[in-house]
Amino acid sequence: MLTPSERERYDRQIMIGEIGEEGQKKLKGSRAAIAGAGGLGSPIALYLTAAGIGRIRLIDHDRVALSNLNRQILHWEEDIGKKKVDSARMKLKGLNSAVEVETIAETIMEDNVSDLLDRCDVIVDAMDNLPTRYLLNRCAVEKNVPFFHGAVRGFEGRAMTVIPGATACLRCLYRGPVPQEKFPVIGVTPAVIGSIQATEVIKYLLGIGKLLTNRLLIYDGLTATFTEFAVARNSDCDHCGSFARKE
Amino acid sequence: MPVRVHIHATHRQFTSGQEAVPVEGKTVGECLDQLIKQFPGLEKALFAKKDKLLNNIEVYVNHASAYPNELVKPVQDGDEIHLITMLAGG
Repeated sequence: MLTPSERERYDRQIMIGEIGEEGQKKLKGSRAAIAGAGGLGSPIALYLTAAGIGRIRLIDHDRVALSNLNRQILHWEEDIGKKKVDSARMKLKGLNSAVEVETIAETIMEDNVSDLLDRCDVIVDAMDNLPTRYLLNRCAVEKNVPFFHGAVRGFEGRAMTVIPGATACLRCLYRGPVPQEKFPVIGVTPAVIGSIQATEVIKYLLGIGKLLTNRLLIYDGLTATFTEFAVARNSDCDHCGSFARKE
Repeated sequence: MPVRVHIHATHRQFTSGQEAVPVEGKTVGECLDQLIKQFPGLEKALFAKKDKLLNNIEVYVNHASAYPNELVKPVQDGDEIHLITMLAGG
């Protein structure tokens, strides 16, 4: 049930044929876990909050630093030194007080990832490193919860949606470990990719449109182009294929 | 009509800025050998050792992933190879 205030707040999106009041109720009744409250996590959390996702769980162990502010738009100068999840929660509640914002200031690791992502309808990958992305991917596959991948470097970004058991997962293309780097990035790139991830989440929760599954979307901000590549499930994948670990 | 190899932006420093390079070859591996003969600086940017791509390199043929065993994938005249680097930042 939507309140009169909610009908007014979401009026412009309820007007969209694919959403309507029924769709808005679905968003209100959903819980999204966002892993990372940085460059990608900022637009993802802001747009999901603005759209009226009922419950948002933000997970990030880090504190706000001056060097974050070129891209992590949830955090401002006054937040330097604060936990990112606390800084983020304050902005998100200021934007939409009806949204329940759960914050977890923990490092995502092998032994806690399952608990951190418990009871969520979707898992959004807004991390800044591949090892944690793979932890999230495997957990999403094992929990059979859709996983929304995004990553950036410089002016380039990529996004892909994973429906466990049905479509290629992030690990299906895995060749081996990649050295970690301090990656260059400008804020507009995660703004684009995070918005695509948030769009995918909304589409999935509403059951509308065509998801970015079995397709890797690559964005090049320098040439203002999007390129799409087909990817397929790998039957030998150690997350979703024959080499997946057994319970 | 040769195979065209599309060069990732971070690798164009090795191709004098060229975004796509025409090469001849019957497999992805042969095409990359040809590419490296023209632009030797690319070898270390693409390969960990002979016949072993770096883990962060992704190869797409005609806009579809060539993984796994990318280097032995057959190609024909007019095909397009994209060399992409994996991203991890957020």
